[in-house]
Amino acid sequence: MTAYLVAVGIVALIYMLLTIGLNLQYGYTGLINFGVVAFFAIGAYTSALLTLHGWWLVPAFVVATILGALVAYPIGLLSLRLSDEYLAVVTLGFSEVVRIVIQQEEWLTKGVQGLPGIRRMFAFMGVGGYADVAILGVLVACNMAAIGLMLHLVRSPYGRLIQAIRDDEIAVEAMGKDPRRLKVQVFMLGAGIAGLAGAFYAHFITYLSPDQFLPLVTFYVWIAMIIGGTGRTTGAVAGSLLLLVFLEGSRFARDFVPGVSEVQMASVRLALVGLALILFTLYRPQGMMGSRK
Amino acid sequence: MTITLVDVVNLLINGSIDGLLIALPTLALTLVMGIARFPNAATGDYMTVSAYAGIGVQALGGASILLAGLGAIAAGAAISVVFYLWVFRALRGRAPVASLVASIGVAFFGRSMLTLFAGHDQHTFSIPLVRAWNFGGIRVLPTDLYVAGVALLVMLLLFALLHLTPIGRQMRAIADNPDLARACGIRSGRVLLALWATVGALCALGGMMFGIKAVVSPELGWELLIPAFAAMIVGGIGSPIGAVAGAVLLGIASELSVPLVGPSYKIAVAFVLLLLVLLLRPRGLFGKAIAAR
Repeated sequence: MTAYLVAVGIVALIYMLLTIGLNLQYGYTGLINFGVVAFFAIGAYTSALLTLHGWWLVPAFVVATILGALVAYPIGLLSLRLSDEYLAVVTLGFSEVVRIVIQQEEWLTKGVQGLPGIRRMFAFMGVGGYADVAILGVLVACNMAAIGLMLHLVRSPYGRLIQAIRDDEIAVEAMGKDPRRLKVQVFMLGAGIAGLAGAFYAHFITYLSPDQFLPLVTFYVWIAMIIGGTGRTTGAVAGSLLLLVFLEGSRFARDFVPGVSEVQMASVRLALVGLALILFTLYRPQGMMGSRK
Repeated sequence: MTITLVDVVNLLINGSIDGLLIALPTLALTLVMGIARFPNAATGDYMTVSAYAGIGVQALGGASILLAGLGAIAAGAAISVVFYLWVFRALRGRAPVASLVASIGVAFFGRSMLTLFAGHDQHTFSIPLVRAWNFGGIRVLPTDLYVAGVALLVMLLLFALLHLTPIGRQMRAIADNPDLARACGIRSGRVLLALWATVGALCALGGMMFGIKAVVSPELGWELLIPAFAAMIVGGIGSPIGAVAGAVLLGIASELSVPLVGPSYKIAVAFVLLLLVLLLRPRGLFGKAIAAR
């Protein structure tokens, strides 16, 4: 039971990292990233492939983070010159393209067969038990660092500036600041955090395949952010924990309701994600805990 | 493999037919973008649901493809109007991103209901099998000509609706300047109902035609969403002529790319074309000069 909770905690913390990245992009700056899973996938495959070619874990994690951020640069540059909705469309398209590339380029990613045998973090401590606790510890530290970074950013003059972009971009421009450059920077930062989350995922699950990176993952992260309340630092924490309760709960629900196949359960899960997106947008845009402004 | 002139002509024909079919959801997207002012990510899943409705009608009432088409149109218009009344009408005063996020929810919800009750099986419309005509190596399938003909007819009807009827004139007025339209006494509620019914019918016809040309599967529409988004931006957002031109251009480009990169990369080709347009001509082929915010 403890082992199970630790494993669930690890996945929750990975989602938390993704949510923090998205919250920075959308919650604080207003950038609509519908391609979170693309940067997640890039980080996961980068780190997995590097370690399979004999790299150490730490440099592989660093490269995964940097690559996630670098890939975001041209995308941000191209679409952020235009209105916000362009970024949504472009990132959604990008996430599908990344998944197709992973499927097709078998020489690199082994395609739909998947990439097995990725080195686990803390493998020298065995599998499960203390190794998982160690992974959990590192993830807690990373999340705290990310939250700390975010709090620091948000309270700094830089943070006031990016929030001002969300609220009134023209006013920011009129004050002689360059909102586009700032937006690209924030977009890259969030994408880098997603890349790091991907590396953690790869070295915890130890097996990657393209169908782990469906657009649905992006919207899991969106749900986590929206439930927690966009633009709230604690929101990412609460939201991703609630998301995991939901995802794991839907798995257990099958034990209590007989005659439901896994395929049907997947449909129910998709329905609930869809409903949550609709209902929260309609009735609680401020999230579960936020107060109506 | 050497590519002869005949091959190129074949690819051009196939590309144009594909493009004419993609034009239908693209028109639906661009109408919503121009009048309701958000990118409707549920467009693809409206297509899927309608195509399944068509399959259902055919399973119930014999083999008439015409009846199936009418059933699909009714289903498409109904689902589109229902979600307008429930979701998008309530979000009208809010930022476009609210409707955009909700439309993703609508897309997931629609698809999940479909897979829950209709399963994940692929279906085909039963149509008489006919052999391809062969003109010295240039092969044309009569079915393809039939679906392309229907698509062209639908476009003609849509342009007639937009330019020859009072409700079409009112739609264009709201697209042009909502405040002025209201000041002139145009009741936007009625116009938007007509808009969403039209959009649903367009999606339904697109779904049917793709279903006739290939197969009906739960992913049918979602996979066409990215190409349709790309076609809309290539043609210029809000321009119906541009939507058709963009879609045909996109269809031809993806078909011509098949000998070079294989059929799996069609979405990627659409995405690259989208990026090129954003880089070189952000307002698209026929778009009005929209200033970047």
